[in-house]
Parts: sequence; structure tokens; C-alpha cells
Amino acid sequence: MRPANLPGLAFARIYAVASNTFREAVRDKVLYSILFFAVILLLASLGLREVALGDRDKVVRGVGLGGISVIGAIIAIFLGVGLVWKEIERKTIYTLASKPLPRWQILLGKYLGLWATLAAEVGILTVMYTLIIGYQQGMPGAGVYLAMGMLMLELTLVTAFATLFSTFASPMSASAYTLCVYVIGHFADDLYTFGKASNNPAFQSFTLAMYRVVPNLGMFNVRTEAVHGMAIPGTEVMWAAVYALGYTAAVLAVAMAVFERRDFK
Amino acid sequence: MTSAIRTEKLGKTYYSGFFRFPYPALMDLDLDVPEGSAFGFVGPNGAGKTTTIKTLMGLQRPTAGGGWIHGVPISDPASRLRVGFLPERPYFYEHLSASEFLDFYARLGDVPSSERGGRVAKLLERVDLGRFRDVPLGKFSKGMLQRAGLAQALIADPDLLVLDEPMSGLDPIGRALVRDLIVEERNAGKTVFFSSHILSDIEAICDRVAMVVGGKLRGQGKVSELLEGAVQHVEIGLRRGDERETRNVPPAESNAALVKAHGEGWTIVNVHPVSKTLEQLLLDEVERARPVVTKRLGVLA
Repeated sequence: MRPANLPGLAFARIYAVASNTFREAVRDKVLYSILFFAVILLLASLGLREVALGDRDKVVRGVGLGGISVIGAIIAIFLGVGLVWKEIERKTIYTLASKPLPRWQILLGKYLGLWATLAAEVGILTVMYTLIIGYQQGMPGAGVYLAMGMLMLELTLVTAFATLFSTFASPMSASAYTLCVYVIGHFADDLYTFGKASNNPAFQSFTLAMYRVVPNLGMFNVRTEAVHGMAIPGTEVMWAAVYALGYTAAVLAVAMAVFERRDFK
Repeated sequence: MTSAIRTEKLGKTYYSGFFRFPYPALMDLDLDVPEGSAFGFVGPNGAGKTTTIKTLMGLQRPTAGGGWIHGVPISDPASRLRVGFLPERPYFYEHLSASEFLDFYARLGDVPSSERGGRVAKLLERVDLGRFRDVPLGKFSKGMLQRAGLAQALIADPDLLVLDEPMSGLDPIGRALVRDLIVEERNAGKTVFFSSHILSDIEAICDRVAMVVGGKLRGQGKVSELLEGAVQHVEIGLRRGDERETRNVPPAESNAALVKAHGEGWTIVNVHPVSKTLEQLLLDEVERARPVVTKRLGVLA
């Protein structure tokens, strides 16, 4: 009998699930509507130059980068929350989970397929951004591309949360949970500062515990530095990468454990 | 003969509602499906057929007992290495074309890349979908989807085919195609385990059958053996001069009836035990299990 768990076979199966997920996502018309909206947003940012105060070029660059970041998060949440739920709801999970592959391989494959979709989306938007800014202000600096890389790290983590919630909640609930993580994650530093400012030791401990548990998504935001042409330290990028990958691995491990225990009625 | 599928005291209880009321869908199932057989799994709606199949296919975890496919525990994905599965009312990826769909499942079934293209084309022809290879599954009719599903189950050339209601909702042509396919696979030495409501098909195709009612196994074995034990009445053909008569008597009274006819001067032409059909056998089992099923449902009431 052929062994079920040879590393080569595992890779081939994960790749098959990932490519099917990618193919499904890029054939989804809703995705193109979001992408179209993103392009309109980028083009509209050009018009800001005429009405903005201060350094108009920086405003345009900042709004463009911010727009890509928000659109990236919307796509990550939109696709991520339905990732597993859709398979169960449409009952395609019956033929998928009955194949000789462990469930963690299904989940990892689906996650990687979604990640590849996001990378393609961010890639397309980055090209659009480059063309628009390049036409108006000349080629953007390297910091902009580093900011896009940091955005991908952030989306890697946000998508892992969306995938986790998708293993047990409906898309509506999973969207709400992921949005909560996204919003709290962006205010993690403020949570810490807020606790420090308090004189209540119990409240301080609570905010510190919260700060340590929720993902610190603020650390991936280097858009201000990119827009102003400031240096972004390499150690900061490296630490962010380690943090994103480590946190993602932990969240996916929980998602796999939940998915492993599910009955498909 | 080794078993393609074997279960021991396999059970599945669902829990529903806030107070997690138990609902035993399957109890103490001891199943033995020999390799190379066409095995019919029959029972009314809600009998536990789909629950059994989903548990065997790793879609649900049993709450009692265990099961083995080709000797490998069903909790191990490796047990499904040589298995092709078609779920009831198949749902597939609508964004994929028929050939992309089969290619995807061929990859998951570890079919080498050098063989995939040829096998996909051959199977699409076999289920009469060759002309629709580039059409998305979203545009397929129910019958076409069922055939695509069968091709999906066959793509990795499995030794065991598990089909849940493969003929439900199909027109006569579709049913004949599925029936022929099952017979072909059985003749090729493969094991086919399938559930169906259409008992005439089961009688025609299967050499073995298991009957499940109210979550419990009510009998299994060769179809002929099951029906043999279910003689409904004995038909006695009689002749006396030009006069002819046929008498139907209960099996227990057949000897006495023969002696009586002989005493009346009749010549006995033939004695034919008339068995129940599989359908009558199933209806009897349903009737016999009614108090149990009512009690079981009463748990939820």
C-alpha cells in the first residue's frame, strides 16, 4: 500500500488544494468589483492633489498606500471568513475530506491559496500605484515597496485569524470577529499606553495582558515613513516578519485543531 | 476472504439543542463487506445509511466502536487511499470545468502527473461527458453532476467504491449507466459498497446486502440467503384428471397440506416456496422496528 504521509505527496496535495482555492477566488466576480473599486480609489487620490493642503505629493502617496492597505484587509476578511465555511455549506467538503489527506493539509492548502490570491491582489495594486504615482510624481522610493511587504505580513496574520474563525463560525460572525481583531490589533500600542497612564494596578495588569494577547498590527504600519522617505530599520522589518510568521503559525495550529474535530453532517 | 470494510459495534450519537439531547443515529453496527463483492446497503430514510457512510469516510467521528477499511482504522486518512467515494446529492466546485474538476481529484488521489491527462479524458468518455470537458460544473444538470461525481470517485482507480444513493434522482438512462458501471467495476474485481432506495437495482446488482433500520443492523449476507430465510408461503401445484389447482399454504403447514392433498386423490405436480422480495423483507423489518424507532425519536420529543 502507498504510504499516506510521504512529504512529497503531502506537498503535492497541499499545492492541489491551494491552486484550487486560488482558482476559485480569481474566478469570483465579487473580487473584481473590489479590485475595480480599489483602482477607482487610487485614481481618485490623484484628484486630491488639487485640494490637499501642505505637501500635496505626500498626501497623494499616503492616501494611495492607505487605500491599498484597507482594500487588502477587506479582501482578506471577505475571502478568509468563507474559506472553510463555504466548503461545508456547499458540501464540497464531503469529497475533499474523504480523500486520503489529513485535514491539516486541507486547511493549510486553503490558507496558502488565499494568501496567494492576496499577494496577487496587492501585487496588482502596487503596479497600479507605481504607474499612477510614477506618472504624477516620478518613481516612488524603495520604502513604498517595503511598506507593501509589511502590509503582506499584516494580511498574512489577519487571514490566519479569518481562517480560524471560518472553521467554526458563519461568515457574518467570522467577519465580526476578524474585524474586532483587526481594529483592536491596530490599537494594541494605545492599549498599552492607556494602561500605563492609569494609576489602577489591576487595570494596568489587564491592559498589559490584553496587549500581550492581541496581535500588534500597528508594527506593520510603516506607511508614514515610506511616504516621507524616512529610513525603515532592517531589524524592525525582520522582527515584524518573525512576529507575523510565528503568530500566524500559532493561529493556524489552533484552526487546524478545531477543523480536525469537526463533524460534517 | 478479507474484508474491504469491517465495523465492530460502530455507533454514532448526535447531540442537539442547548441541553444536548442525545439522538443515537447508529448503534452497534457490525458490518463485513468482503473484497470483490457488490454490497448493497438498504434501509428507509433516516435509518442510518448516510451516517454509516460518512463515518467510514472520515467525515464524522464515531462515538462508539470502530471501523476498518482494508484493515486500516477509519481514523487514519491512509484507510481511504484505495477508496473512491460519491456522496449523496453530490455538490462540486461550480467554478471548475469537468476536466479541471477531475484533474483536481486525481492530484488529491496521488495519481502521477504523467497519467492524469489520459485518465481524465478516458473517464469523461466512460461517463458520457467527453463533449462537456470544458464546461463549468455550474452549468451541469443533476444527472450530469452525478456522472461527473462517479468519474471523480473512479479517478484514482480505487479498489473500493463507496456510493451513497448513486441512482437517486436519475432518469432511466442515467440509472442504467450507473448500474452498468457498478457491474463493470464488480466484474473487474473491485468492491462496490452502495446504498440505495431502489431495491430492484440492489437485487439485480448485488451479491450481498445489509439492511439497516432505526440505526440498527437487521440482517446481512448473500441476497439469496436472506430471501431464502424469508419464505412467505409454499405454492403447491395439484392435478386430478383434467382438474388443476394451486394451493398457497404457510411454510410450517406445507407437509400437512401435501399429505391432505394426497389423501384427497390429488397428484402433486410441483412444490414451490415463494420468498419475499427484498422490499417486503425491508417493510417487515421496518414494521418490527417501529416501537424502537418511536422510542428513539421520543428522546427528542
